[in-house]
Amino acid sequence: MSLFSREADAYSLTLSIDEAHVLINLVEQLLELLGEGDFQHHYDMNDPFAQLMAMQQEIAAPEDPVLKRLLPNAYADPEAADDFRRYTEPALRRNKQDGLRSIRAALTVLVDNDSAGVIEELDAQMWLKVINDLRLALSVRLEINADSFQLFENMPDEDPQKGIYAVYFWLGWLQESLLELLTQ
Amino acid sequence: MADTLTEGEVSIDQLFDRPWVCIVWDDPVNLMSYVTFVLIKIFSFSNEKAHATMMQIHVEGRAVVASGSREEMEHHVQALHEHGLWATLQRDDKI
Repeated sequence: MSLFSREADAYSLTLSIDEAHVLINLVEQLLELLGEGDFQHHYDMNDPFAQLMAMQQEIAAPEDPVLKRLLPNAYADPEAADDFRRYTEPALRRNKQDGLRSIRAALTVLVDNDSAGVIEELDAQMWLKVINDLRLALSVRLEINADSFQLFENMPDEDPQKGIYAVYFWLGWLQESLLELLTQ
Repeated sequence: MADTLTEGEVSIDQLFDRPWVCIVWDDPVNLMSYVTFVLIKIFSFSNEKAHATMMQIHVEGRAVVASGSREEMEHHVQALHEHGLWATLQRDDKI
């Protein structure tokens, strides 16, 4: 069972091996979507998350709705939005990639040893942002709205999407638990 | 909505130096506690102000979180985007 904990200013996260796999798969798929393909990934294309993420467009297409949500327009006016994007998007994209890469490195240790474990001395602010980006990415694919939790609860167990909804709500719970520690 | 100008026109805003505003929009994904946390982190709001602003975003669909020069607002929007909040900037449309 996943759990963030805090001793003074040191944060750690305990993860089961299954949770580490789920997280690293999502992290790698989002890295690829953000245009980073240059690493040996831990998932195969039959993975339901991979299929969900790869559903639309080719990698890094700016029309992709997940990228639109993670790298949104700063202005309603399209011309001003494009200008702003030209100057700022590379840095924003790099910031998100850096966070994902660093979390991937921590998760790789658990996944490659095939064991549950504790990630020590993690950067809590960065984890908070990355978990949020993963939730945003999943929410676009799942078309999350105010009624989604009820939809999930009423979903029959055999529904292939149920597991993905479960991961989305698990990430929300995980993020909330980290926020509680950060604001203590 | 941002104003658009054709070249050579001088806008009212340029004449009166109307400030720019940074707006955060509601979305069904960002946790209320997370939005509050980010507002405190980026704008150094008090807990009370951050919570009230978050509620305004949630209930009214949007809230102005800062105003000032265009450069400052662009900087804020970028910080908000880094944290996954949905933010835009525009000229303040209240004269």
